[in-house]
Amino acid sequence: MRPAFIYAGRALPAITTAIMLTILLSACARQEEPLYTQQLLTFGTLVDISIWGVDKARAMEASRQIGEELQKMHNDWHAWHDSPLTRLNTALASGATVTVPPSLLPLVQKSVVLSRQSEGLFNPAIGKLIKLWGFAQDDLPGGPPPDAAAIAARVAQHPGMEDMTLEKDRLRSANPAVQLDFGAIGKGYGVDLAIERLRKLGVENAIVNAGGNLRAIGRHGDRAWRIGIRNPRGPGVLASIETHGDESILTSGDYERFFEYQGKRYHHIIDPRSGWPATGTTSVTVIAADAATADAASTALFIAGSQGWHEVAKRMGIKQVMLIDDKGQVTMTPEMARRIRFEVSPAPRVKVSAPT
Amino acid sequence: MKIMTRADMIVVALAVALLPWLYLSYWAPATQGDEIRILVNGKERMTVSLHQKHQLTIEGTLGTSIIDIHDGKARFVASPCRGKQCVHTGWVSHSGESATCLPNRVSVLVAGNEQRFDSIVF
Repeated sequence: MRPAFIYAGRALPAITTAIMLTILLSACARQEEPLYTQQLLTFGTLVDISIWGVDKARAMEASRQIGEELQKMHNDWHAWHDSPLTRLNTALASGATVTVPPSLLPLVQKSVVLSRQSEGLFNPAIGKLIKLWGFAQDDLPGGPPPDAAAIAARVAQHPGMEDMTLEKDRLRSANPAVQLDFGAIGKGYGVDLAIERLRKLGVENAIVNAGGNLRAIGRHGDRAWRIGIRNPRGPGVLASIETHGDESILTSGDYERFFEYQGKRYHHIIDPRSGWPATGTTSVTVIAADAATADAASTALFIAGSQGWHEVAKRMGIKQVMLIDDKGQVTMTPEMARRIRFEVSPAPRVKVSAPT
Repeated sequence: MKIMTRADMIVVALAVALLPWLYLSYWAPATQGDEIRILVNGKERMTVSLHQKHQLTIEGTLGTSIIDIHDGKARFVASPCRGKQCVHTGWVSHSGESATCLPNRVSVLVAGNEQRFDSIVF
């Protein structure tokens, strides 16, 4: 038998070469990552676009087109600047039958269905109430909250999507108090249209995140897209989710738009039944196929709160939900619990709860 | 015959020596961002390290936003908007996190070499 060092002498260069190659190759692979990211200030928010796997010129062009389209939607759907929507609202208030412009029609149709499924908890007909609270303006209100009698008067008018009759593109409201405000669905729907546009342009792996309203398609190369969910109380990320295929993840939280007056927080998610900001919930995260549905559902479940959310989720066909109540209790459906990974330590105590 | 030849020992030793590198490059939680990018009106204005102490004054479309950076995190301390949503956002430190003052069109984005998250829902 030959002495061992002869083996070592032969093997060493080969091993060293293998190691050097591994290091070199992994370094190259990282540098040439075909990921394009772009942030746009449009649609009244920060829109974050990630595109994987197409060359930079195509990705840039795709982002530019999305930016343009989102800005157009923002102008068309604007609830307080002069827009096709404000003109539609003026006509509805007069009791007239109006033609819904093509840019608004799918949004109205989708809202009618989702509002019915949520039993009116998602209610885009309460534009007057939103305006009274001061959430339909560029700057957040500073308080005090509106007069209780004025709130009660608007609630008593019971505006709802069921007051509307839509025949093809002709819309009429039996209730003159109906004023449409798509704040709880518009961004989600915009994200859906942006993803549709990306697909038409041949992009198969992408994320569009409009102010926290997110839809992801495909993958980040050889791994899934990793989405962080912001901690509703405190800085940083609470949990993460890896997306599969084509999914939307949205959160509605009391920390997104709010004002504080005399130590009390008044947030933007108004319960159409009381006319006041919904109480008892801090945030709701929903995963659904399309972002418009997830957007409307997260609002409806937030309002339904820890007592009623299962019922509403079932009716809206939403299976993956995480709800955090105002005491910090985290509750989720088994389908959500299977995929979520906490990024804080210690992880919060979680109650897994299935609909009955 | 020996159970392990010298060549085997070298291979084992090299494998053990490589472990820290493997760990660092594939497993270490690279959550902390390295730098922040400041955007005004969607255009990149500057990139600043998160590991130095800075106070930045950024001219937006309405006026001056003040951004504090220290100990690996950044936040808006003042901005000429009414709602102060940017200030409410508080500290951002993880790659992919952001704080934005929409009225003043100023955004602060945390960037790192390897992003822990591709995007963040808030």
